[in-house]
Amino acid sequence: MSLLLASIGFGLITSAVLAIASVGFTLQFAVTDVLNLAFAAVMTAGAFTAYLVNQAGYSIWLGLVAALVAGAVLSVLLNYLVYTPFQRRGSAPITLVIVSLGMALIIEFGIAGIAGGVGVSYRMGQGSTVKAGGLVLTTVQLVIIAISLIVMAGVHALLRYTKLGKAMRATAANRMLARNCGIRAGRVIGITWAVTGALSGLAGTVFAIDIGTFDPTSTDIFLVLILAAVFLGGPGNAYGAMLGALVIGLSTEVSAAYIAADYKYVIAFVALLAMLAVRPSGLLGART
Amino acid sequence: MFEHPGRTANRTARRLRAVSALVALSMAAALAACSSSPSTGAGASSHSTLIFADVAPFSGVDAALGPIYLVSCTGATNAINAAGGILGHKVACMSKDTRGEPADALPAVGSLLANTKNLELVIGCTSDEAASVVPLLNQKKTVMFCMTGQSEFDHVKYPYFYRLVPPDLAESYAMTVIAQKLGYSKIALAFGNDIGSQTFVQPALAAIAKAGLHVVANVTLDLKATTFRTEAAKIVAAHPDAIMTEALGNADPTLFAEIKQLNNGHMIPLIGTSAAISPVFYTASAKAVGAAQFAANFHADNLVTATSGPAYDAFTKALLAVKGKVSGAQTGNFTTYFTAPGAVHLYDGMNLAALAMVAAHSTDVAKWKPWIAKIGDGVPGAVVVNSYAQGLAALKAGKQIRYIGPGGPTSFDPYHDSPGIFQIDTYSPTGAVLVAGSISAAELRAVTP
Repeated sequence: MSLLLASIGFGLITSAVLAIASVGFTLQFAVTDVLNLAFAAVMTAGAFTAYLVNQAGYSIWLGLVAALVAGAVLSVLLNYLVYTPFQRRGSAPITLVIVSLGMALIIEFGIAGIAGGVGVSYRMGQGSTVKAGGLVLTTVQLVIIAISLIVMAGVHALLRYTKLGKAMRATAANRMLARNCGIRAGRVIGITWAVTGALSGLAGTVFAIDIGTFDPTSTDIFLVLILAAVFLGGPGNAYGAMLGALVIGLSTEVSAAYIAADYKYVIAFVALLAMLAVRPSGLLGART
Repeated sequence: MFEHPGRTANRTARRLRAVSALVALSMAAALAACSSSPSTGAGASSHSTLIFADVAPFSGVDAALGPIYLVSCTGATNAINAAGGILGHKVACMSKDTRGEPADALPAVGSLLANTKNLELVIGCTSDEAASVVPLLNQKKTVMFCMTGQSEFDHVKYPYFYRLVPPDLAESYAMTVIAQKLGYSKIALAFGNDIGSQTFVQPALAAIAKAGLHVVANVTLDLKATTFRTEAAKIVAAHPDAIMTEALGNADPTLFAEIKQLNNGHMIPLIGTSAAISPVFYTASAKAVGAAQFAANFHADNLVTATSGPAYDAFTKALLAVKGKVSGAQTGNFTTYFTAPGAVHLYDGMNLAALAMVAAHSTDVAKWKPWIAKIGDGVPGAVVVNSYAQGLAALKAGKQIRYIGPGGPTSFDPYHDSPGIFQIDTYSPTGAVLVAGSISAAELRAVTP
């Protein structure tokens, strides 16, 4: 029983980090029409930006702010310098996926070239350990969960109550129609790259805080979890991504408690395949 | 649009001749390239630079290994060059990244063999890639000093394969002896899911049973995973006295931090393999759980290496000369390299190879390879030398030599294995390696299934 509760606690941490990344990824995909496989590489760039700030003697929380900015800037540059030129030439979506995969490798190996391939850690304490029932979490992990909840609430507020959020939803639903309604779709897309890039930088840093030791390739497997959460919840659906992150995070950790830990990702993806077979649009996607 | 059939036939014939000429030219070029390829070790042209290649992971989870070997290679070749080189040749190091994956290692070695002039020696070849690259290197008659402990090389003859490190199963037995000596009876195993780490598991299980100890948890760590919280919870719940582990990259440090978190801020004693004697491993682990707590709870088996004397002095001088100059080797306490198995034993391997070339008066591998065992194991009347410079001087004076480097004397078996004897290492809180004890052959035999 205590192992079950402990694994639920671990699942909540994984879900919290995954939710920030998945929401950013799915918003980016919905509004920009780019399935950006370099998203996790931007997370890594954010994590290393925070590392640089931290190594310079500043708090990791200041580093986290720097990572937000770095993620936003890098994503905007990726869009303007790489993806937009391809889109203007009428490249097929699969071409953009391949281009984004190439960019992921360029960013990752670029970071590895500069920082080296070995693992690094932030200079920070994990705080005291909090025990509640079988749950065992550190103060820092509780802060990560709090950050994730704040981000989810912020995304909800952005999409529901702001003009920008409504414009993003309209652009995601039908870009041409949105333009005809007076929405400056190009500008909305640019801002979306910045917002989701910031979420990517944030996700990368909390991910690195959570795992303790990270290197330029640490987010590789995490990208697969992001894709699973996004497609489980319904691609392009922010709330679906939140739910998908919760399911994937909990299923990987709880399954690891009761079967060989080697299979924890297998369990998550079996759940995803089952969902796609029964309901291809995902948990919260529109029924087809 | 339409041409006379005869004209078309003539053009076709001309094209065929042109294509044939191109093919012939290409074949000639390829043959020329092959003949200039050094991989068969037919001997280098005078004053050309000989290459020692570090074939090992420089990226991926075992990325820390390649730079250790490169430090050793750069230090050894600098010392060789400072002594005048080998038969008028300078020596240089090059690195080939295998990414720790057999599938990546093969093309890397293929490219190394195809494109490297005067390739005389390969070092590295860890358990990650040895199974795929050793047969290829052997086929191409390239001498290699490998860092693999895989038991498949214990009794398979690869004439060009040499190993100065013990088989993995002997390390598993050594770890079990450490557990016994420290009074631990309940053991948890936590090994990575890579080939190199998994080879320890079955021998460890057998040795633990033979020693009358008990395995209370046995978890495999997916090295691509980012957290091991549930695995850590399983280990903590089993209340082991100690954890035997090898999971390189970020895995072990992450696991240690999570165990500490779940165990009320206390570490469970750890017993690592000799691969844990590396500055990168120490730095990451110390950051994860705190230097003092890590140092107080960590032991590892390691081969006995010199800590003083002329061999040690020459070795440390060679390595200190390249301190801060080798890419990827700037992390941690540099003195850890003085006992890191990869640094010590490959340094010895390179000196053995270099002295073998001098003794054979040739860089032709067929001529110098037989001298490796002669110089390593010694022949009656041979004078002991402890560095390349000493060996070179003795050979020039017409003496027979026996090289004994910082890794101790060698004793090659018919499979070119020269397993040493074990000691128990710990770390100081500053990352310096300390010798905490020794493991006798009798102690090792007592736990051998």
